[in-house]
Amino acid sequence: MSDTLVLLPASDFTVEELTDAYNRTRTDYLIPMPMNPNRMQEYIDLYDVDLSHSKVALEGDTIVGLGMLGVRSGMSWITRLGVLPEGRRQKTGTALLGKLLEESDRGDLPVVWLEVIKNNVPAHELFRQFGFKETRELIVARRAPGPARNKAMALDARRIEYLEHDDVIELHRRRQERMNWLIAFETMCNVRRPAPPTEGNLNGSPHEFPHLSGLLVEYQDGAQGWVSFQATALQLKRICVEVICGDPATTTANLLDLMHHLHASQDAIIENIPDDKRWDGYRQAGYFETFRRIEMVRTME
Amino acid sequence: MTTTTTAMKTILQIEDNFANRRLVERVLEPHGYRLLNAIDGQSGVDAALAEPPDLILLDMGLPDMDGQTLVAVLRDAPQLEGVPIIALTAWPEDIASEMAARYGCDGCITKPINVGEFAGVVGSYINR
Repeated sequence: MSDTLVLLPASDFTVEELTDAYNRTRTDYLIPMPMNPNRMQEYIDLYDVDLSHSKVALEGDTIVGLGMLGVRSGMSWITRLGVLPEGRRQKTGTALLGKLLEESDRGDLPVVWLEVIKNNVPAHELFRQFGFKETRELIVARRAPGPARNKAMALDARRIEYLEHDDVIELHRRRQERMNWLIAFETMCNVRRPAPPTEGNLNGSPHEFPHLSGLLVEYQDGAQGWVSFQATALQLKRICVEVICGDPATTTANLLDLMHHLHASQDAIIENIPDDKRWDGYRQAGYFETFRRIEMVRTME
Repeated sequence: MTTTTTAMKTILQIEDNFANRRLVERVLEPHGYRLLNAIDGQSGVDAALAEPPDLILLDMGLPDMDGQTLVAVLRDAPQLEGVPIIALTAWPEDIASEMAARYGCDGCITKPINVGEFAGVVGSYINR
C-alpha cells in the first residue's frame, strides 16, 4: 500500500464526486455500468448504503478508489468497490476492503456480504484472501419489450388478484427464502414510485410514492404463485417470483407471461436471482442471461 | 461524363465517455461523415428526434438509462423508422450480439473498436 494513501468517509464527498469516481473505476471494467448522480442517490437509498462507513481513497487531492458499505440489521454489504486506473497496483483495493471490514466489525455487523462478477478473477481472489466464501451464483437477465409469448396460458387462471404496494411488501415479509441484498425485503421497503416521466425527463424522478405492484394468481391446474415488480414508464425492475404450489418453471413462466401481457411496452431486468428451476421459467418467458455474479459471505468468528 | 454527389451522412453518437466519442469522431470524420454527439440517453433521444440521423451509434452502458431501454424508446419513434441503430459496447461479444438482436438493433460493434475497419463497417450499415 502506498504510504501517502488516505481513506476518508464517503460522506465527506458529494454524490456528484462519488458518481464521477465510481464511473472512472469502471471505465475498463468487465461489465460497464455507469451511473449519473440521480441513479447513484437511488442506489444509496435503496440498498441502505451508509456513506459515513463507506470510504474514498485519496492520493494527495486525487481520488484513486472507492468502496461502499450497505448496513442492515446485523449485517453489511460491500459494493461499488473499485480503483481508478491511476490507483492500481498499489494495493488500494486491499486497503479499501480492509477498512470496510474494519468498519463492519466496529459496527457489530458480524456477517458481511458481497457479490463479484463471475470471471473477475483478481477481485474474486482478493475477497477469498479476506475470508469470503462463495454461497451461490446469481443471474442478471433481461427481456426486450414485447407481448407475452404465451398469452393463452397467461390468462388461463382461476383467480388473479392485483396487488398494491403494501400487499407486495407483506408478501416479501413472509418469504422464507434468503434473498440477495438487491432484492431483499429491506430493499423492497425502500422502493418508491418514480414521478411520471415528463418531456424533459424520460426516467421520471425517483422516490415519491411507494409503488411496487404484484399479481397473485391461482391457475386452473391448482398451481399458485405471485410476481412482484416495480413498473416505471420504460422498465420493469425488481421483479420477484414466488411459486407457492405447482411446477416451479411452468408457474414462473405463466406468472411472467401475465405480467408481460399487462406491460408489453416495457423493457425488463431481473437482478441476482438464483440459478434454480425458476430460471427455466424466466427463459421460457423470454429472458436471456447477460452475466452472472458470485455471492460471497464472511462471518466474523 | 456523369457526376454523382453524395449528401454528407449524419451519424448520431450516444456515448458518455469523452475519449470514446473523440476516437469515433476522429475515425469517421475523415470519411465524410458528420457526427452529432449526445452524452446520455435523454439528450440522445432529444437529438435523434430533433434531427433524425442516417445512423445511430449507441453505447449500451449509459449513466442515466440502460442502452437497452433506450433502443426500445428509439425504435418506438415513428420519425426514426428505418434509421439503423448499432450497439457499441464493451460487453463480451456473444452477449452483446444477443442483446443487440433481441432489442432490435441492426448490428453490434464491440469495443475497443478496430480503427482500421470501423468506418467500413459503419458505412455498410448506412448503405444497406
